[in-house]
Amino acid sequence: MTAIKQRNIFEKISKDNVYSKLVEIFGSDCVSDKDVDLYPYSQDMTENKPHMPDFVVIPENKEQLIELVKFCNEYSIPIVPYTTGNNVGGLTIPDYGGIVVDFGKKMNKILHIDDNMMYALLEPGVTFGQLKKHLEENYSSLRYSFPNAPPYSGVVGNVLLSGMTNLGAKIGSMADSINGLEVITADGNVARIGSCFYGKDKAEDDSWWCRYPMPDLLGLFVNFQGMTGLVTKCAVQLWPKEPIEKPQLVVFFGLTDLAPFLREVGRADIVNDVAAFSVEVAKMEVGIPEPVRYPEEPPYTAVVPMSAKTENQMNAKLEILNGIIEKLNNEGTNIHLIDYSEFAKLFNLKALNIFNLPSQILSLHEYSGLTWFGAYAPSHKFEELIEKTDELYRKHGVPPFNYLKIMKGGHYGIFRPIFRFKKYKDQDKIVKLLEEIADVCIDLGCIPYKTPSWLTAKLRKKINPGWISLFEKIKHCMDPNNIFNPGRWNT
Amino acid sequence: MVEIDENLIGKDVLEMAFDRCIKCSTCKYSYKDFEKSCPSGEKFLFESYWASGRIRIIRGVLNGDLEWTKDLIDPIFACTTCGACMDSCQAPHADYIVEMIEALRELAVKNIGSAENQKFLVTRCEESCNPYGEPNSDNVELKKEYTLPDKAEWIYFIGCTSNYRQKSIRDSTLRFLKKTGIDFTLIDEHCCTSPMIRTGQLSIVDEYMKYNIEQIKNAGATKVITSCAGCYKTLTKDFERFGNDSEFEIYHSLELVKKLLDEKKIEFKSEYNKTVTYHDPCHLGRHMGIYELPREIYRQIPGLNLVEMKRNRNFAWCCGAGGGVKIGYPDWALEISKERLEEAKETGATVITSTCPFCKTNLSDASVHYNIDFQVLDLMEILDQIDINVLS
Repeated sequence: MTAIKQRNIFEKISKDNVYSKLVEIFGSDCVSDKDVDLYPYSQDMTENKPHMPDFVVIPENKEQLIELVKFCNEYSIPIVPYTTGNNVGGLTIPDYGGIVVDFGKKMNKILHIDDNMMYALLEPGVTFGQLKKHLEENYSSLRYSFPNAPPYSGVVGNVLLSGMTNLGAKIGSMADSINGLEVITADGNVARIGSCFYGKDKAEDDSWWCRYPMPDLLGLFVNFQGMTGLVTKCAVQLWPKEPIEKPQLVVFFGLTDLAPFLREVGRADIVNDVAAFSVEVAKMEVGIPEPVRYPEEPPYTAVVPMSAKTENQMNAKLEILNGIIEKLNNEGTNIHLIDYSEFAKLFNLKALNIFNLPSQILSLHEYSGLTWFGAYAPSHKFEELIEKTDELYRKHGVPPFNYLKIMKGGHYGIFRPIFRFKKYKDQDKIVKLLEEIADVCIDLGCIPYKTPSWLTAKLRKKINPGWISLFEKIKHCMDPNNIFNPGRWNT
Repeated sequence: MVEIDENLIGKDVLEMAFDRCIKCSTCKYSYKDFEKSCPSGEKFLFESYWASGRIRIIRGVLNGDLEWTKDLIDPIFACTTCGACMDSCQAPHADYIVEMIEALRELAVKNIGSAENQKFLVTRCEESCNPYGEPNSDNVELKKEYTLPDKAEWIYFIGCTSNYRQKSIRDSTLRFLKKTGIDFTLIDEHCCTSPMIRTGQLSIVDEYMKYNIEQIKNAGATKVITSCAGCYKTLTKDFERFGNDSEFEIYHSLELVKKLLDEKKIEFKSEYNKTVTYHDPCHLGRHMGIYELPREIYRQIPGLNLVEMKRNRNFAWCCGAGGGVKIGYPDWALEISKERLEEAKETGATVITSTCPFCKTNLSDASVHYNIDFQVLDLMEILDQIDINVLS
């Protein structure tokens, strides 16, 4: 087994006694210490080094987890939350061993859909596919905002880690859509955060409607990668489903033409999302294996989901979009707008997959490895990010796989170089490129999300000392025995 | 970078485990329908019991991360190899997932042995050429009873389950073939080897395949018909995969029925006035892609009201018998069937029908065990209950 770091977690209690306690809490069918069962939890799709947990448990209720947290806190045993391990950051690899808590198998209930105040109350194991099905079958007027992630990625993990969405141009980070949380803290207390904070023992299902205006304790758990507590419930916002949908395809013939387009279209508040890809990614999406970009072909394309309440509203939005493109082309860009549905009919219906969310970005599932430098980015640096990463791709002989978005009305952007690779053959080459890209992007102000610890180590060298000091004080205060997903952010 | 012992690989499908699968979990539920589809994962829950977990076990045992211990037996063998994961997975290795699991089982058998009782599939065959351990029926008596010739164009390959457990399917098929005037006969069969291939016990596979091919050739046949979905898949796909391409035309009995209907050589005369739901056998559905053909036949039976279960066709929930589970994990096999029968009940049907004697066995066993009181019938048994006009 590939060894990483050591932490003697059985100093205060024997492994056998831990096992007995876990069986007492969860029952023997829901606890394993067998290598064969632990092994799939020791690794993920990324370059991050594997490490075996000591146990995996499958909880089914909060009470079991309270007992687990108290026990682990007493004996300083790490707890690593897990839903499907699709975070693309090694975040559920138990770097210091301990207990993986697999929420995906039993704590996966949709507890409540509030049609009136438009939110869903979820257990941590609920997946995008599950939520989509539930809404379509029972609440056809409501929609969730889905990322281009596999259908069985966890909703709660994604919002807590500031994941993406296909309403990104409107609502921004998924973390902004959290209404409330139920969390078990290191002392075994249960805190309800958000408008659900009224009520001694339990909150009413219809009380999870807002995050404000009390002190925003939610921030203690968002982007902390499971380092400050165990989330057992999460309320996420839903949105009205608009009846008119007309996705668009935008083609950019200049290398950086998409940068001003993203900024302008973000400000215009007319699109739900813009997902811009290197054309190599777009080609793969329509089934071209190992594609290359030929001279004269556009380097980037963007798919633009648009929706409206009426045809008139849609036409007005399209008029604005056309106006933006015309203005930019007058200023020197070479951008073309195409009706995506017509494009898909002409070319390949697989192209519609991207709007049938949650979906597979099929090309990203090609091999055994997948990683990225996924970052929030200053949108005024898009040109430099594109040009500099393009040079690096060429230097390493790897086809460009950049993925850009504009978020929340143009307030910020997303820049994500993504790499698929054969894990046992090409990883070294890809990691080298990834590191160089990370250095360039961080220098230009990008801030990675779902960040693996090798990358947070890079960040820490650049972050102001006051932030690090405050962050570490909070972590220590919340988790004095460092039991919650230790190692993340190099804690 | 992990060092892989190349000597241990030796099979393309095992190599594929290293180059494919990011464990995205799409294999766990029916694609885009988001329904439970993996009996193994749903029962045992840990990642090691889902397809992507098994692919990681392959990596683990081949690169030395995992030692061969008895702990590996359940994650490797507690799987019906129903192929639901293949159908859901959207990655390039999708069609090979079950082959990967079978190859892993082959390695496991060599290193730690098979799951409990699965070894009897082989030892019984060695004694009497069938996995049930019944005295071998050379089918001579049946040939006499049905006045079958020594040589014919068609061979009815009965299969062990129909010949030793579900004789009604065998007899219904024999009567159908006689009634329709097909030029067929029987051979002294050995097991088709499906149970051995599914459980990674390959010691007798090549010998048995060659034996059966020889028997069919000796009978002068060019076409083989079977009423068993497992035999059908094995004769069609596995014989070739194991280097024993027979060059015979292989038909499932339902394909012959459909052919005769389409050619207007038979027509269904009397009515079968029952509400029936069709259970897709994994070996016929997901493994061979046959979904509509049986439904088209049922719809042509006068009076028969065909209704669908919630999970049907490529999303059908497995009956629980396959992949060595019926013999290796008999209680769990029944649990899986119970879930299927309950789903069938929800349709309002009084009959659950299939085209596989092994599905019939397990569904019937569960019906009795859990006192569900459901009539389980094969297509050929239903056809046996109605009048059929032979037109030419």
